[in-house]
Amino acid sequence: MTPRSRGLTMTALAAPALVLMVVVNAYPVVYAASQSLRDGNLLDPGDFVGLQNFTEILSDPLFWRAVRFTLLFTVSGVLGSWAIGYALALAFKQPFRGRGVLKVAFLLPWVVPVVVTSMSWNWLVATAESPLPRLFAAIGLPDVLFLADPTMAVAIVCVFKVWISFPFMFLMMSAAMEGIDPSVYEASTVDGAGRWATLTRMTLPLTAKSTYISWVLMSMFTINDFPTVFLLTGGGPVDATTSLVVLAYRTVFQSFQPGYGVGVAFIMTAALVAISLALFRSIRKVD
Amino acid sequence: MPMHHSVLSRRNLLAGGAALAITPLASCGSSGASSGTDDLVMWDMVWGTGAAYTKTAQKIAGEYTPAEGHRGVTYQSIPWANWYQTFTSAVASGTGPSVSTGASFQPFFFMEQGSVVPADGAVALLEKEGKADFLPGLLDAMKTDKGYAGIPWGLDLRVLWYRESMLEDVGASVPTTWDEYVQVGKKLKAAGKIGFGLAAGSSTTDAQHSIFALLINNGGGLFTEDGEPDATNDANVEALEFVLEMVAEGIIDPRAASYTADNLDSDWASGRIAMGFGQTGLDKQMKDPVSADLKVMSPLASTSGSKGTIYYINAIMLYADTPDQASSDAFAAWWATRTDTFWTENVMIDLPVTQRLASSEMITSNPNLVTAIKEWQPIGKTLGAKAPAAFGALNSVDGGKAAASFVQQVVQGKTAPKAMLQTLQTELEKLV
Repeated sequence: MTPRSRGLTMTALAAPALVLMVVVNAYPVVYAASQSLRDGNLLDPGDFVGLQNFTEILSDPLFWRAVRFTLLFTVSGVLGSWAIGYALALAFKQPFRGRGVLKVAFLLPWVVPVVVTSMSWNWLVATAESPLPRLFAAIGLPDVLFLADPTMAVAIVCVFKVWISFPFMFLMMSAAMEGIDPSVYEASTVDGAGRWATLTRMTLPLTAKSTYISWVLMSMFTINDFPTVFLLTGGGPVDATTSLVVLAYRTVFQSFQPGYGVGVAFIMTAALVAISLALFRSIRKVD
Repeated sequence: MPMHHSVLSRRNLLAGGAALAITPLASCGSSGASSGTDDLVMWDMVWGTGAAYTKTAQKIAGEYTPAEGHRGVTYQSIPWANWYQTFTSAVASGTGPSVSTGASFQPFFFMEQGSVVPADGAVALLEKEGKADFLPGLLDAMKTDKGYAGIPWGLDLRVLWYRESMLEDVGASVPTTWDEYVQVGKKLKAAGKIGFGLAAGSSTTDAQHSIFALLINNGGGLFTEDGEPDATNDANVEALEFVLEMVAEGIIDPRAASYTADNLDSDWASGRIAMGFGQTGLDKQMKDPVSADLKVMSPLASTSGSKGTIYYINAIMLYADTPDQASSDAFAAWWATRTDTFWTENVMIDLPVTQRLASSEMITSNPNLVTAIKEWQPIGKTLGAKAPAAFGALNSVDGGKAAASFVQQVVQGKTAPKAMLQTLQTELEKLV
């Protein structure tokens, strides 16, 4: 078989899968793009309105509130889960009794479905009869509206995100630390480096690439994270915890305005691509 | 060496495929008299008691015998989760039902889009049989310029409930006016109880129904007689002042801003809530002794002296995409009469919509239902109040993000009524 005919055969074999991928991915994107430029509903595409949906979105205070919350949610979710995951990975570097069991226990928040964990957290804090408010009352602390006060609700959602995400970071960072050659640490010990110097001069730089990759992944997970927010607060109270993806969902499926909602989703996607590119550039610098 | 036949033969594969195709339709039933690809398709939501309701509905559908020349019917039970996506995608792709039940404002919206046709033919059949004996105002509330958007068959009416023993414990009489309600609420608050229970979280419409009921109670509403947004009218401002007084006095739980329906049920069940709006079947959802202690109070006179509440009419709707319109009319009328069974077999939570059921012993023996039907139903209006009938845009208002944020803001009690209503007005203008 000549190289040319071999190439043609391979192209022919790959073509059905390629065509399927293009159709499956491209059609919804093109259809959604068309919807974002119209003023219809899910039954009727409506009239072409150009960029009107986008100008409305960009002048809507609720959109900018959702942007601010999404940023806070993402930054706190990524950095908070990374800090805890990194600390745990360090702690679990040395063998100790019960290490395996504890490791599995720490993975549970990531493994258990978010619908279960969100209901558990709601049960913990939502009503006056919930365990946490009762504990606060029992020890004489002031009554805290964990989910009903906008500031507290934002804090709870962010803490919840850190809680369900740190096991992923724990796994990523554990794997990165396993990959460091032990002789590097032996050399640093010989040179008289203390624990802090070893961490900041050896471990952190040597795991930087994995850190950036995990940040990129977790940023994508968090910006696109619908269930964590929606199941715990539904985006409330008074839109305090409405992220961009929740805003898009509520606009399309609760207020039945697909043009606006899909527009939000497109803006979100553009932002996500920009953030990912910036972080990938950071990874290249590490190389 | 003998050749073994492949386990996955072509016949096995086809049989497996057929089994897979049939599995999701396990909850479907077809009328015995006629079944085939040209049957009507009936989509029925999971109402009332859930599985028990669906079982009864499947049995009823199986009893349908079409008249000569009419089609049979295939029944399918449809879950509420993502109902809007389910219906719109099916209707848009031409795979929707011929007849269905559904959300309150669904027939109005779908009719405006041309997907649902007027139910006048089916209503005429009911009238011919003497079965169009609807409770006051219900059929009129379905009337549009094109005809009836659907046939009423169930009524989600919001009434005020109270725990009899709790009012006795604090030495309070059942309130009859808003002023008295606040006084009773203060006594309950002093006893550590909630005087106006509601759930305003984004995943439930409970607080929207309760607060909109109070707007109507005071002669207000979100719309003009012509269906134009009118949230900022004086009656609404006055009603919100009443709600904010309850917030300030602690009669409304500030936690309610994030409450889910489950949180609310849990507070009713634990005895934390003593009064509040609920569906007419609230007592059925509770266990004794709470259930037996729950009573429906008479409608309250508002600040302006008026009375009123909100209701949601569940209707049977007929679709344009049907194998035969006359068959759809005949089946829809037949189904409307057979829905009586849901109440006689006690699988519904909402109220019945006909005089014949309202006067039956099953209803008249229940004092709570008697109060609901005699005193609350006649003063009920739709979310479209003050418009005489509902309309399609209400589909986006009911449960939409604008209404959810509005009631959460009300429960927080930090914003002036006029400002909250102005924000709602702006959002309504975008939706309508």
